[in-house]
Amino acid sequence: MRKEFILFVIVLVTISVSACDKLETQFDKNSTNVPYENEDFAMGTIISQRIYDNNAEEISKKVMDKIREIEDKMTINKSGGEIDKLNASAGIDFVELNEDAIYVLEKAKEFSKISNGAFDVMVGPLVKEWGVFSDNPSIPSAKKIEDLLSLVNYEDVIIDKSISKAKLRKKSQVVDLGGIAKGFAGDKAIELYREHKVNSAFINIGGNIVLLGSKPDGSLWKVGVRNPTGPEGTYIGVISAKDKAIVSSGDYQRYFEKDGVRYHHIIDPRTGYPADSGLIGTTVISDLSIDADALSTATFVLGLEKGMDLIEELEGVEAVFITKDKKIYITKGLSSSFKFEDDNNEYEYVEKR
Amino acid sequence: MNKTKRIVILSLMVAQALVLSLIESWIPLPSPVPGVKLGLANIITVTVIIFYGFKDALSVVLVRCILSSIFGGGFTGFFFSMAGGILSTIVMYVLYSRGSKVFSIIGISIAGAVAHNIGQTIIASFVMKDVAIFMILPVLLISGVVMGFFVGLCSSFLERTLRNSKIFT
Amino acid sequence: MSMNMLKKGDIILLGIIAAAIVISFAVVSTYKRSGKDTDKVAVIKMKDEIIKSIDLSTVSQPQQIEISGKYIQVILVERGRIRFLDADCPDKICVNTAWLSEKGDMAVCIPNSTMIKIEGQSDKVDAVTH
Repeated sequence: MRKEFILFVIVLVTISVSACDKLETQFDKNSTNVPYENEDFAMGTIISQRIYDNNAEEISKKVMDKIREIEDKMTINKSGGEIDKLNASAGIDFVELNEDAIYVLEKAKEFSKISNGAFDVMVGPLVKEWGVFSDNPSIPSAKKIEDLLSLVNYEDVIIDKSISKAKLRKKSQVVDLGGIAKGFAGDKAIELYREHKVNSAFINIGGNIVLLGSKPDGSLWKVGVRNPTGPEGTYIGVISAKDKAIVSSGDYQRYFEKDGVRYHHIIDPRTGYPADSGLIGTTVISDLSIDADALSTATFVLGLEKGMDLIEELEGVEAVFITKDKKIYITKGLSSSFKFEDDNNEYEYVEKR
Repeated sequence: MNKTKRIVILSLMVAQALVLSLIESWIPLPSPVPGVKLGLANIITVTVIIFYGFKDALSVVLVRCILSSIFGGGFTGFFFSMAGGILSTIVMYVLYSRGSKVFSIIGISIAGAVAHNIGQTIIASFVMKDVAIFMILPVLLISGVVMGFFVGLCSSFLERTLRNSKIFT
Repeated sequence: MSMNMLKKGDIILLGIIAAAIVISFAVVSTYKRSGKDTDKVAVIKMKDEIIKSIDLSTVSQPQQIEISGKYIQVILVERGRIRFLDADCPDKICVNTAWLSEKGDMAVCIPNSTMIKIEGQSDKVDAVTH
């Protein structure tokens, strides 16, 4: 009996050791429950990353490098980038673009189209004239706005994919990827995380949140929706999600005040003035952050009714709308993952429309 | 008792322990923390300790752990239940062999359940590389007492029945 | 039914386990509380560089820190909390963010590429979309 018992123990130990080996691979050596967090400035905003991985620091640096590369290519605030060259050659010639720029331009055109121009990638001349992103914004004259409106037409972006070139039809036309480039950068960040076998991470590019997987313990990420009238960091509800992009637009982001009137940074490409649709904030949830970015701007410009219609038409896209009269509306598909939280009883949550 | 009969009965014990684990998996147990279990298979462990002693009890526990992980527990589950199982068998045997006059089957079973949960938590903290897992220990201790009491009650009934049946003689 | 009744040793055993439960609860709750009060470290960053790191629980007297980049900002530190007090940047979003006192709280000045963050993660939300 004694011998048998010893033999039995030996067999067990062998099994355990081999199982240990398997266990080690099952619990990926790179995954960890300890988050790495990093904040950095790029694309004119702050970028925060939280990565659960033993190589997190290195990966976060690669992501920042990629984002700066995208910024350099797509910015119109510095010269030398591809999009800047495209604008400089407006009405003159085709400009060679790399595949990222072509992809973003095509996406931008697509969303300009489905939003009927409420989002328009050619809004550049108006944005420049208002100067909301500059140090000295001003209100353009009505005449000036009328002139510039004739330049705003997304159909004037001519893309020739076969030769990887694009052109703007008229002189002085300006492509502005401000409403979509951050969204694209978010998708690229997630792509890089995946390439490095990260299972759990998120990136926050100036309020655009892009989630990879769920938290390491399997629970969903919790993303607050900014209270448009409260101080920074306060929120009116929480969205629980994984593997989603969550992007917001609002009149609180950038604005200037003149003679007691607040002029915010989201210009309605159809009127030439800051959008006045009755909304003070929209949040869009979708699989790709480039989509969510374009759609949050589009819905903010469209307003509650039309914005809601647009989102309900699209598959896999949900949204939160916050109106001037402090009511909160959500799309049907979001009801189980959105939790209304307003400590000040300032807002009203309208469950059904 | 001859060897063959002994092996047959021990095999039956393993089979019954597996069935009990299976039944247990059908009973939903709302719990705020992972690791809270009824531990019905412990009824068998207690019984084998009483009638056969330590070595056989340990063998039954180990074989049960291996088989149940093959049937669908996975490696992690295997390690957790093995660590808990070994520790609880040792504790229960020591209490039974040295102190069966002062400890009832219920008391022994409670000690076993608590030891099981402590063993599991230790292994979990190693696997997760995170000591924060010990935060759930208080809850696991309480659940150990409750479940251990229930298991002990069942075991003492079973013991009486088996003694009367003379199956082990 | 003698086997069913609790014996003397059982009472002692239950006493020991009860004590263990009480102690482990106490340890866990003090651990949780200590995690909340201490390790509250505020980090002041400019671009991706840490300028200063302050353990907020050890601040005995309020102090002001001035940082200058493109703009000049004044940070006020008190026990357990920190904020941008004043700045000459155009939008003053950093000043409007008010006090930071919880883990994960953050105040940012984009024009000056500066930020204050309290290290750690909030247990309420992981991020806020804006």
